Amino acid sequence: MKESWKRVIVLTSIVAISVVVLSSIYNITEPEIAKQKEIKFEEMLQSIFPSATDYSEKEGIYEVYSDNKRVGYAFMADGKGYGGDIEILVGVNEDKTIKGIKVLKHTETPGLGAKITERWFTDQFGGKSIGDIRLKEEGGKIDAITGATISSSAAVDTVYGEYMEKIKMMEEK
Amino acid sequence: MIKDFTNGIVKVNPIFVLALGLCPTLAISTSIDNAIGMGAAVIFVLLFSNLMISLIRNVISKEVRIPCFIVIIATFVTIVSLSLQAYLPSLYESLGIYVPLIVVNCIILGRAEAFASKNPVSRSVLDALGIGLGFTLSLIIISIIRELLGTGGISVFGYGFTLPFSPATFFIMPAGAFLVMGVLLGLLKRVGVIR
Amino acid sequence: MNELLALFINYALVKNFILIMFLGLCPFFGVSKRLGDALSMGIAVTFVMLSSSVITWLITHFLLIPFKIQYMEIVVFILVIASFVQLIEMIIRKRSVSLYRALGIYLPLITTNCAVLGIAEISFRGGFSLLESVASSLGAGVGFILALAIMSGMRERLEISDVPESFEGLPIAFITASLLSLSFIVFRGIGL
Repeated sequence: MKESWKRVIVLTSIVAISVVVLSSIYNITEPEIAKQKEIKFEEMLQSIFPSATDYSEKEGIYEVYSDNKRVGYAFMADGKGYGGDIEILVGVNEDKTIKGIKVLKHTETPGLGAKITERWFTDQFGGKSIGDIRLKEEGGKIDAITGATISSSAAVDTVYGEYMEKIKMMEEK
Repeated sequence: MIKDFTNGIVKVNPIFVLALGLCPTLAISTSIDNAIGMGAAVIFVLLFSNLMISLIRNVISKEVRIPCFIVIIATFVTIVSLSLQAYLPSLYESLGIYVPLIVVNCIILGRAEAFASKNPVSRSVLDALGIGLGFTLSLIIISIIRELLGTGGISVFGYGFTLPFSPATFFIMPAGAFLVMGVLLGLLKRVGVIR
Repeated sequence: MNELLALFINYALVKNFILIMFLGLCPFFGVSKRLGDALSMGIAVTFVMLSSSVITWLITHFLLIPFKIQYMEIVVFILVIASFVQLIEMIIRKRSVSLYRALGIYLPLITTNCAVLGIAEISFRGGFSLLESVASSLGAGVGFILALAIMSGMRERLEISDVPESFEGLPIAFITASLLSLSFIVFRGIGL
């Protein structure tokens, strides 16, 4: 009986120490992790709006400024790809055409679905009005990636769906 | 005592002699940077878990030792994972799920069980450093071969060179990892380094 | 439904756990010399993968996320898997002697099998739903059994073939795995 109590106490205290150590390490690293995410986000935003100098966020919609003049909007679009979640940053011009997109996160197959991050694919979105954001075989103007139709249409649907939602939000205001 | 250190590098080299920790070895040896990063992470976890386990080896009873070891190892792996996310996010991303999988790297649990739980702190630390270094060096050897043949050049933290031949992408594909490992093992056996 | 099938095929063939992602190599090279053993091991691993991915999904969504302690994920997952494997071992030993004889010796090995923690991590990071977790772990399990079965067949043949002495055993097994892995690359062409 005494032996088994000792066992329980030893294991429990090791777990307790582990929890304490990890929560303090987490508290130290958490602001840094958040900062890294922000730096990455700003880089992505800059790649869509090269002239951007500042931005502000409200209810998931980012207003992008260049020297205090608003140049457009940006928002995150989350969708499901063929390997898992896809996260795309969408930039919109003042006239509501697409400025550009950037794939932030995906788990598509390397060499195939992963091509959704490549410039020739993402550059197709720039300058198009939302009506053209459909794959060519569905009447739009976006070329699908050969052999990766699910990934391509996942990217397109993600952008399209989120755009519709965000535009509605903006118009209601 | 110094033997505890050198043994890990050659005589009980974890990858080539014991054939342990193969998953990360094959998966992340596509680039030298990744190999160094993974090696450093494993050395850190191995060092501190060996140290802790050796310190408390007399308190832990036989029946609960494996769960205790696992919790200790997992704690240090989480520390590595959080620190990488905070300070080296690009390395964290390229190592992917192989960072949390350090927990189940047989080398670490194996050393805890076979060495640290039976030996004093100083020897356990030396053992961890030796085994960790042996692991890292082997990883670097494999990644040099794969990166050189697969991308036609070598680059370490942005410095390097490219060779004037067209690379055989095969070597950075999974199949290339198996082939390089098989041929290396065969050659090491041939020259008598391993049995 | 289509997405679930895609996930299943993805982890069974395109991202085959052993041949493409290198998860679960120890049993692959260790026990894959006889077809029967390989199948038993494969079934045991699949069962543990499937059930532990369900358990870790429940833990993620009802414990880690509500209490905002996602950083405890690695510790919690590995503890859960280890105790779950222990529990199955106890149940099998009590209930069925023949099943214990067939699978029992592989169970302790499964705790440190990268494939089990691997699938839990993949579904955690990918933000999978419960059904998606089930589909991908089933796929991973089937792919695992497939690779183990093919490999055991090839190694049975290798035993009786003429291999340079220094390449006998592990080296030639790796080279065989390389060819096998190469052939699995073609599944990337599945247009999903």
